[in-house]
Amino acid sequence: MWRVTLKGLLGHKLRFMLTGLAVLLGVAFMAGTLVLTDTIQVIFDDLVASVNDGTDAFVRSNEVVDSAFGEERNRVSADLLPQVRAVQGVAQAEGDLQFYAQVVDAKGEAIGNPGRGAPSFGFIWNPGRLNAYRLVAGNSPSAAGEVVIDRGTAKKGNLRVGSRVKVLSQSAPEDFKVAGIVTFGEADSPAGASVSLFTSEEAQRLSGAVGQYDGISISAVDGVSQEQMVRRIDAALSDPKVEVITGATLTKENQDQFTQQLSFFSTALLAFALISLFVGSFIIFNTFSIIVAQRTREIGLMRAIGASRSQIVKSVIAEAALVGILASAVGLGIGILLAAGLKALLAGLGIDIPAGATQVLPRTIILCLGVGTFVTIAASVLPSRKASRISPMQALRSTGSDPMKQLGRRSTIGVVITAVGIGSLLYGLFGNVGNPTLFVGIGALVVFLGVAALGPVIARPVSRLLAAPLPKLKGMVGVLARENAVRNPRRTASTAAALMIGVALVGFITIFAASIKNSIATAVDSAFTADFVVAAKGGGPPSLSGFSPDLAQKIKEVPGVGASSGLRFAGAELQGKGVFVIASDPATSTQLFDVKPESGDFKQLGINDVAVSSDRMKKEGWVLGQRISAKFPKGASTLKITAVFGMGQQAGLSDYFISLAGYDAHYTQQLDSQVYAKVADDANPRVVGRDIKKILKEYPTAELLDQEQFKATRSGQVDQILNLIYALLALAVVIALIGIANTLGLSIVERTNELGLLRAVGMTRRQLRSAIRWESVIIALLGTALGLVIAVFFGWALVTALRDQGLAGFVAPVDRLAVIVVLAGLAGVIAAILPARRAARLNVLDAISQE
Amino acid sequence: MNTVTKTSAARAVDASKIYGSGDAEVRALDSINVEFASGMFTAIMGPSGSGKSTLLHVLAGLDTVTSGEVFIGDIELSTLKDKDLTLVRRDRLGFVFQSFNLIPTLNALENMTLPLSLGGRKADSAWQDEVVKAVGLGDRLGHRPNELSGGQQQRVAVARALLSKPEIVFADEPTGNLDSRSSSEVLSFMRAAVDNFGQTIVMVTHDAGAAAYADRVVFLADGSIEAELMNPTSATVLDRMKQLGG
Repeated sequence: MWRVTLKGLLGHKLRFMLTGLAVLLGVAFMAGTLVLTDTIQVIFDDLVASVNDGTDAFVRSNEVVDSAFGEERNRVSADLLPQVRAVQGVAQAEGDLQFYAQVVDAKGEAIGNPGRGAPSFGFIWNPGRLNAYRLVAGNSPSAAGEVVIDRGTAKKGNLRVGSRVKVLSQSAPEDFKVAGIVTFGEADSPAGASVSLFTSEEAQRLSGAVGQYDGISISAVDGVSQEQMVRRIDAALSDPKVEVITGATLTKENQDQFTQQLSFFSTALLAFALISLFVGSFIIFNTFSIIVAQRTREIGLMRAIGASRSQIVKSVIAEAALVGILASAVGLGIGILLAAGLKALLAGLGIDIPAGATQVLPRTIILCLGVGTFVTIAASVLPSRKASRISPMQALRSTGSDPMKQLGRRSTIGVVITAVGIGSLLYGLFGNVGNPTLFVGIGALVVFLGVAALGPVIARPVSRLLAAPLPKLKGMVGVLARENAVRNPRRTASTAAALMIGVALVGFITIFAASIKNSIATAVDSAFTADFVVAAKGGGPPSLSGFSPDLAQKIKEVPGVGASSGLRFAGAELQGKGVFVIASDPATSTQLFDVKPESGDFKQLGINDVAVSSDRMKKEGWVLGQRISAKFPKGASTLKITAVFGMGQQAGLSDYFISLAGYDAHYTQQLDSQVYAKVADDANPRVVGRDIKKILKEYPTAELLDQEQFKATRSGQVDQILNLIYALLALAVVIALIGIANTLGLSIVERTNELGLLRAVGMTRRQLRSAIRWESVIIALLGTALGLVIAVFFGWALVTALRDQGLAGFVAPVDRLAVIVVLAGLAGVIAAILPARRAARLNVLDAISQE
Repeated sequence: MNTVTKTSAARAVDASKIYGSGDAEVRALDSINVEFASGMFTAIMGPSGSGKSTLLHVLAGLDTVTSGEVFIGDIELSTLKDKDLTLVRRDRLGFVFQSFNLIPTLNALENMTLPLSLGGRKADSAWQDEVVKAVGLGDRLGHRPNELSGGQQQRVAVARALLSKPEIVFADEPTGNLDSRSSSEVLSFMRAAVDNFGQTIVMVTHDAGAAAYADRVVFLADGSIEAELMNPTSATVLDRMKQLGG
């Protein structure tokens, strides 16, 4: 029996290479993701460990807010430093600060691709063991106006010791002299980040932390353990708002924070890898079904000479297992290479990942081989059962089963499965469940399976409909293409189903993105009453960057600016719940945004006041004038609801507004995310715009946008993400195309006689190729049509579910969806190239006389 | 050796077909010279391996000769490229094979008109009516091949061969898979096509009864012509076969 299995594989190398390819690609994707993220993880862990290498203990505030913007912690008083230094066993103690500092080169360009690449940080230069950097030129910063930069930044900006640079921080742009250049271990910079180091006083001044530090790093004398050090310092300090942790804990915390961010990234990539494998499983199922059908005689003969049913099942599954293991192993190898390639690609994009050994963990190997093999075997179970039902008598009859049997039962099952899937999906979206992603994900998966089960029932009528214009267009060739596409609806349906999944996801994401863009446009149109906005070029990373309030001040002073305000986005805890807060100047806000004030007075927002949207007021059951508890990085406080407004999160804004003065009081870093300006009635907007642009020369990370440009850049950001997802889904579509090619190839083998006859009675090679091409296009369009129906449903469901989170409404972008249809048709043409060529090359006489 | 009674519809001149080389060389056709007259029903007979099928295939442009020439009318086939050869088959020749004669996804009428529609043409409707009437399928024209009997399928195949008014129809054991009643239906239909429409037919068969429907029988052995017989009957054919030791 095993010999038969093996011979079967060797006898059809091409077929199994194509089947294997469907698994291989998905596994490679998965392996690449795991290897890449493991490698980055190890590199970053090492990086954090070496940054904290000399730190045995760390003193910091215990006031912290954990929000969508990350963890924001209060600073500590610099007065603690002498107290810490006095503790016995402390070899060295230094204050630390980390803040936004962007180096600008002589040409006025910000170094290091801000808004895209790695972040730019300022730090205090600390001597001795507490310094992770190594001077390679010049000296440490010793006076005001001196900065030390990393070698990566120096190279990019063509800077050397003695060069003059400008540094952007939360205070106004200032000139500095490069005192020295450092490396981070052997690397030019830590993970490509741009680093500038200052004296303690300069750092405090630049970050608005005079008399303060983020924390204090302590290095202990030899013989004092980290735990001992922590205990001694803890005992010496009496401030209840301060905590002391070991260097190891600090390292672990930093590593864990990064792991969390990385796992978001790797989970997303793995999800796409699994989608590819899911699509691949359809191809495997299909190939094995066709092979079993084609081998009916052979299997019947085996049964006749005494093979048992279970032996037949085992032989088919063994074949699948062999394909699965081989393909997974090769996929794993390719994935490892892919990870190395991706690392190089990231380096090319300016995300400089330091050298580090590629990490192939045992978990990666086991998972990839296991999942790849499992998917292949699982997909072959049904075909193997079908094979075992072949009776010995069928050895004598010719092939060709009745494809329409059992379709009645099948449609019932299909409808039930689809309904269950839709139910789970809607429950996840609208049911207020704890884990909506799970219900939505499983629901989507089940919908795909349900529609795939319904496929054979729908395939015939829908394909006929899609192919209706073909006979008119292509004559007999069109008729043949159409009839071939519908002659075996099961096969057509499961082939199309693979593409359906890819198209459904592509279509869904397209619809979702269009709905988001529409919401942005609606929000900007309805809420944006300013004439100009100054925003970070390229969107900018969400935290630790922005503009010095100096910029907003300068814009305010431009002649002709009627109203202006900086805008800050922040996280806070209100009544124990993490929320998103916008801070702006209450005096001018109502002129810059049409927030539709309802009650109270927006202009009266003070340090401990908050304006809340009417939606939120209703949901929380709050009333105007009520006081609510709040937690900010600088500690807990109580806020009074002073105003209620109409356009909250639903309009793409926030449900909460606080004043800039309030932000100053409650947050440590003071950076504006955007600056809005409205031109006075009697001023010329063009002149005002020109004057603002002059100011921006000093701020190379900023750009001036009017309403339309603002809308366009926001849409552009959505498109960027959309394109990324398209690229990730491309693999699933490619696998589906391999499936179409595979099915056509197998069908052609079955139809050899027929093709010979067609050629004998006068079909030209060109006509034959054309017929196969159109058959392929019909299958592709069938998959696309089903996929788009699902896409519209998914899109509608998600957009509706997210309505109260700022999505204005469902938008189906007809033009983009039409492009998908055209591309799918073209994909069908491409998938048909090889099978068509093979069919056209058949020798007419051999083909006719083939048994 | 050959008798030419009318103008020739097809002929082979010194045609050889050699498979393999050296010791394994097989001469399927050995410098054969033969002509097939227009308006005549010719049967080709011979034992297995005599080259009768090969002769039919090279005449029909389905296979090429190793040396010599093959003509359909005035067209020499061995110089044609695949595309022109295909067009010759489509526009000038008709085919009836032993089995797999019809495309399973097309109905009887579509199968009949297949060569014409591949060429983007329509049958002359009077002619189509006449052929359809002669094929005797009545209301079954819209049926697919698997809904027709073997004899009906072969008659549809003959009708397809006739419908494009080809210069010559080649039939390769057209009754090889049929019972005797169905066979005589198909053969009578072919005979009638020659008598009533002046069709030229060349048929390979090993059945003396089938050969008796022809005007002329050509006997092949070892790739060349051994004998021939005009106005055959079953008895004369069997007699000659015995003489030839087949």
